[in-house]
Amino acid sequence: MDTLAKQQITEDLLPQKFGKQGQIWVAFLSVLCLVGFIAYCRQLSKGLVVTGMRDYVSWGIYISNFVFFVAISLVGSLITAVLRLTDVHWSTPLTRIAEIIAVSAVTFASIIIIVDMGRPDRFYNLFIHGRLQSPIVWDVIVITTYFFISLLLLYFPLLPDLQILLKYKEKTNKYLYKLYTFLGSFWKNTPGQISISNKAVNILCITIIPVAFSIHTVTSWLFATTYRPGWDSTNFGAYFISGAFLVGAGGVVVAMYVFRTHYKLEKYITDDHFDKMGKVLVMLALLYLYFNVNEFLVPAFKMKKPEEEHLLGLFTGEFAPVFWFAITTAMIIPILILIFKKGRKPKPAFVAGLLVVIGSWFKRYLIVTPTLLHPFLPIHDVPASYHHYFPTWEEWSIAIGSLAGALLIITFFARIFPIIPIQETITETEEHEKA
Amino acid sequence: MKKHNYLFPAMVLFSLISIASVAQTAAKNATRNDLLLSLGYFNTNNQTQYLSAKAKTKIDGKFQMVSGISLSFYISNDSSAANLLGKAVTDAKGNAYLLIPPAAQSEWKKSVKQSFVAVFAASNLYDETKANVQIAKAKLKIDTAADKKITVTALELKDTSWVPVKGVELKVAVKRMGGDLNVSETQTYTTDSTGTISAEFKRDSLAGDAKGNLVLIAKVEDNDTYGNFSAEQTVPWGIKTEYLSAYDKRTLFARRGHSPIWLEIMAYSIIVAVWGVLIYLIGQMRKIKALGA
Repeated sequence: MDTLAKQQITEDLLPQKFGKQGQIWVAFLSVLCLVGFIAYCRQLSKGLVVTGMRDYVSWGIYISNFVFFVAISLVGSLITAVLRLTDVHWSTPLTRIAEIIAVSAVTFASIIIIVDMGRPDRFYNLFIHGRLQSPIVWDVIVITTYFFISLLLLYFPLLPDLQILLKYKEKTNKYLYKLYTFLGSFWKNTPGQISISNKAVNILCITIIPVAFSIHTVTSWLFATTYRPGWDSTNFGAYFISGAFLVGAGGVVVAMYVFRTHYKLEKYITDDHFDKMGKVLVMLALLYLYFNVNEFLVPAFKMKKPEEEHLLGLFTGEFAPVFWFAITTAMIIPILILIFKKGRKPKPAFVAGLLVVIGSWFKRYLIVTPTLLHPFLPIHDVPASYHHYFPTWEEWSIAIGSLAGALLIITFFARIFPIIPIQETITETEEHEKA
Repeated sequence: MKKHNYLFPAMVLFSLISIASVAQTAAKNATRNDLLLSLGYFNTNNQTQYLSAKAKTKIDGKFQMVSGISLSFYISNDSSAANLLGKAVTDAKGNAYLLIPPAAQSEWKKSVKQSFVAVFAASNLYDETKANVQIAKAKLKIDTAADKKITVTALELKDTSWVPVKGVELKVAVKRMGGDLNVSETQTYTTDSTGTISAEFKRDSLAGDAKGNLVLIAKVEDNDTYGNFSAEQTVPWGIKTEYLSAYDKRTLFARRGHSPIWLEIMAYSIIVAVWGVLIYLIGQMRKIKALGA
């Protein structure tokens, strides 16, 4: 491979300054974050009474959002670890996208759980008085662990790229140059360093898979270890993980399209990538659909009295519009789009990915809230508002603000670091040419 | 012809009045059902006296309990304000209960027989309804022997003294959490000429309290003359039960620091293993740094 080609790849993949569109996008996300922050300040000063949560629905869209964030973060282990360990090379340009989605999502999963606490100043009690028997403590441990692994998995492969970034001093500003120096000036691309780094990445890929499975299994156990209609399931771990891989893959497809279009990366994120990710998405959607059939058909067949109200509420009752919207947009329509080759072209694949992400968010809401409105002991002698749940503007603002915050992390990351690994792309192109 | 002209409107008018009258009567009947009241007297363990009234009505040929109506209870058959014992509202099952207050003591002592009346004042839905009950004052006395023999005597107040009563049907049982358990296979006993019955306690291995105590109960139910009354006695015929506290034990539901050992080993091993790997990798990072220095 000649130097010119290498230079071309490098210049194509170097982080770019925000254009007008980028600035508008950042401003838009910042406003959403700011509104969310103001709403949170109101919640802090007035208490959780500003939310729509009451005695029965004590987990509303904050926890739905938490489950969504944890779910989407699993994509880091799917794209980076599973595909890497199975020696699949086409995913190389997507690994960093997947990892930054994972890091940003898991960061906001931690933040949103604190938002859900009425008294965040008592958060430390979870560590001082936490019980090892509680799935909530397991969740804290496993989320922290997953965050560090994801961070390391993002950092190790970034080291060679940092060296490249340092070489292009003229294309950066002094602050970013200082940051690159701090993070990667010690990387000299020596065989010793490459060997240690490769070994470390392999270890991380092996470690992240069980941890990723744990993070979402434990999240599912927050529900499944509670005896309630809709949550009392032995299937919940697998059901959650399959759903998490689906939403994560959907998120990656959306991000792939946005980065490819905005940064003109058609040479690196090709139609073939969309075709392959489209197939992955169909497989994951079918898998999740299978688990949904299990999760709803089996209890509906038996229709035990306590489950009846909950299930009918989902199928034909109060939650039916959201339920069928979620099933259709997260699974049925994406399958119908992506099952055809034409549907796996970038634009239709992007639409399918977007539908998966939106549908999956509502699916999390349906997992969390309807169950709380159908306790085993009938609700009686309470104010009428306790029988229903609809989020207040504060909750919407905080939830949307947190989603905007996660997107802001991804946006700034793409501004500061190469969103497609430069060194790995050069190496793989060289290997491809040699072969 | 002219005559016919008057006759036809008159017939129509008559028909309309008849229909309206029938409809009105039907509507009245449809909304005003008969209220059926029954009243019972209860004396628990020769101590607590109370009245229980049940209100029901017949709708579409089926009895339905009437809840949420207020009933006034009076001592003696005279439902005057001076004899008012109190008021109670029927519950979801149509039952209303009223403890006989100590203030009624002087009226109670006037006679060996006593009458009570429950009154429902007329409302939009029901007419005024009354229910009476008259009882002769009676009590039960339980005696036990060491060989687990139980003797129960039924006594009736005659003038100023208690005399044994023959032919009273009663049950002898042990009080349990879910109801009363007969002391033997015999369901009911009838008092003989001395007013007594003999029962044998055949419930071995029955769990009692920490001292092995059980509570025996003898009771007369729905007796036409005496109403409902009972007596209780504590006997040490059960097995001593000890409350085993799990408070200090290592269980999944225990407090902090008392998790099961298997869980601690499993959880800490996983944490140590995974974080061990992460610390090792941070060490590798330092190695990479050293190689680049």
